[in-house]
Amino acid sequence: MITPLYLDHTLTALADPTRRAILHRLAGGEARVTELARPFSMSLNAVSKHIRVLERADLVRRRRAGREHFLSINARPLDEAAAWMETQRALWASRLAALDAILRADDRSAGAAKNKQSIGP
Amino acid sequence: MTNVSRDPIRVTRRFEAAAERVFDAWLDPEIAGRFLFTTPTGQMVRIDIDPRPGGAFCFVDRRDGQDIGHVGEYIEIDRPRRLVFTFSVPAFSHEVSRVTIVIVPQGAGCELTLTSENVPPEWAERTQEGWNTILEGLATVLAVES
Repeated sequence: MITPLYLDHTLTALADPTRRAILHRLAGGEARVTELARPFSMSLNAVSKHIRVLERADLVRRRRAGREHFLSINARPLDEAAAWMETQRALWASRLAALDAILRADDRSAGAAKNKQSIGP
Repeated sequence: MTNVSRDPIRVTRRFEAAAERVFDAWLDPEIAGRFLFTTPTGQMVRIDIDPRPGGAFCFVDRRDGQDIGHVGEYIEIDRPRRLVFTFSVPAFSHEVSRVTIVIVPQGAGCELTLTSENVPPEWAERTQEGWNTILEGLATVLAVES
């Protein structure tokens, strides 16, 4: 089981309501930093910090046009996080299936031993 | 776009064996070594289980000559109903997950539900910001995207 290290960044980025709201907004299309900051009752600087966390996770990408910075969403890390979770789920399901098989096999051999005993002298 | 559940990782399975047997299998090195953290090509070379709250476990699986340790700590041991432990694979990630196993007797058998939640170091002290919140955000973003 290889757990990708970048997943830490993705999940940390998603753990904050402001950052989720920023992603929500960007899901509707590209936006300037100032546009993103407007709905929040916090400084532009504070919003910029959140954006940097999202950029570190590669959930947000920045495009520069002259002095303007445009931000857009990159959904790929979300897909990868979802795929990772599905892998984890499948792993646990296969472990439970293996446990079930072991307990059934034990029952069969216990049953066989009992039968053998009753046949004996 | 991939469809993501809003819940933590959750798996349910029905067993014909009694709840006690299913529960004990997790803490018995002989049985646990055959279904937990094994890989088809790997070889389980070491299993240490200290089955008490705060006790540690370590399963070492040898894969292609590399020893991969699966380590964790038991948080709750309530036989045969509930088992909670942390779990990580330091060779692969700093990430720690918390696994909760709930076993409900059903007739002669039982039903086991396992949930796995992530506890990355950054959130260790912020348990209220659980996996549910994360997935809620993830699901919301995915719903908007699709």
